[in-house]
Amino acid sequence: MRSPVRRRAGGALVVGVLLAGSLGGCGVLPPMPEPVPHDIVPSAPADLSPAAGGGALSPDGFDAVERMAVRIRNVGCEELSTGSGFAVDEHTLITNKHVVADSKDLEVSTYDGHDITVGATSTAGLADLAVVRTTDPLPSFPELADADPEPGDPVTVVGYPAGGELTVTEGEVMGTTRDPLNANLGEVLLTNAPVEPGSSGSAALDAKGRVIGVVYAKTADDNSLLVPLSTVQDMLADDTAFTPAKGC
Amino acid sequence: MTEAPVVAVPGRAPAPGPRRSSRWLAVLLVATIAVGAYLWVTTVRWQRNSAEWEEKAHEYAEEVASLRMQLDGASSELEAARDQLSTATARITDLANEKAQLGDENVASQQYIDYQTQVSAAAATVASALGQCVSGQEQLVGYLKEAEQYEAEDLRRYERQVNALCADADDANEALQRELRQ
Repeated sequence: MRSPVRRRAGGALVVGVLLAGSLGGCGVLPPMPEPVPHDIVPSAPADLSPAAGGGALSPDGFDAVERMAVRIRNVGCEELSTGSGFAVDEHTLITNKHVVADSKDLEVSTYDGHDITVGATSTAGLADLAVVRTTDPLPSFPELADADPEPGDPVTVVGYPAGGELTVTEGEVMGTTRDPLNANLGEVLLTNAPVEPGSSGSAALDAKGRVIGVVYAKTADDNSLLVPLSTVQDMLADDTAFTPAKGC
Repeated sequence: MTEAPVVAVPGRAPAPGPRRSSRWLAVLLVATIAVGAYLWVTTVRWQRNSAEWEEKAHEYAEEVASLRMQLDGASSELEAARDQLSTATARITDLANEKAQLGDENVASQQYIDYQTQVSAAAATVASALGQCVSGQEQLVGYLKEAEQYEAEDLRRYERQVNALCADADDANEALQRELRQ
């Protein structure tokens, strides 16, 4: 038989446990809800902007490589020839010496058919290169690469083969070789990017769209020869490398 | 005389009794009621909050549906615009090429016209020289018919002059013929 004292102690213990449970339970009671915000749309997602992916856009739908290419018509005293060229700044074109040789008049047009007024023309003595200054601004010009390409590097050629439409062809650098035409001092680049007469003066670009050379000839086995970037840079850095071109 | 020790018999302690238990039960009841009230209020608030979120979710769902429709429409328009841009750039390239070819043809035609002009001028010069040759020879024939009236040396000198003129005219004519054959 339980004594009354033990029964009272047991009751107190139950009450205490219940109280402790109740009070302790307050710690796990659900809090009051926060008021629903008026607007939960983030103002500007950090990882998404309207300009994302718009880097390749151009003002008129043409790529930068197309916008910097020009077609050169060499009106000689007796005959007509065409070639290609590309802008290196807003008023300067690079092309081949043989593209502007024996010229009475040079006529330059852009990818969209605009005519560009030409100023002075000068040619290099030790490379098949020419610099043409323009009076009108050129629409676009590329960067020059940091160094000559390595064998296996991709190459893109943009120009006007056979004096026709603006054309972009691709290939890869095969290596360096001695200039079979002896038109350039030092070695030249050999690539398998297709070119045709009229492509002379075209810019050869790397995968980032930077200039790595200037097309100047085609080999018998349909490879293309480039004046390497290093030669172009050496010539451009030398004030005496270019002399005024002689007309016909 | 000694007194007998008094032995006190302990009586029963006063029991806490129902009053104390009732106090504990009252506290427990109050606490339970308080917790219950809190839970009730919390539940009501959460229900209201949930309803508001649900309403907002429906609003945003409708907005998402509307935006999806707009996005589909915009994507279609963008695709059409891209096609149009591609067509336009191809057309621009074609037109630029046509203009360049026409320019080439124009220059080539001009060079041909210049060449023809030069050839015509040369032909006129040759014709004039040949005409002078014929005139000179006719004049020489006339002189020779009346040779007795002239000094023989003068006739020979005139004959040499006519022959030289005709030789130059022949050379010019030969050069013109060679040029025309090219």
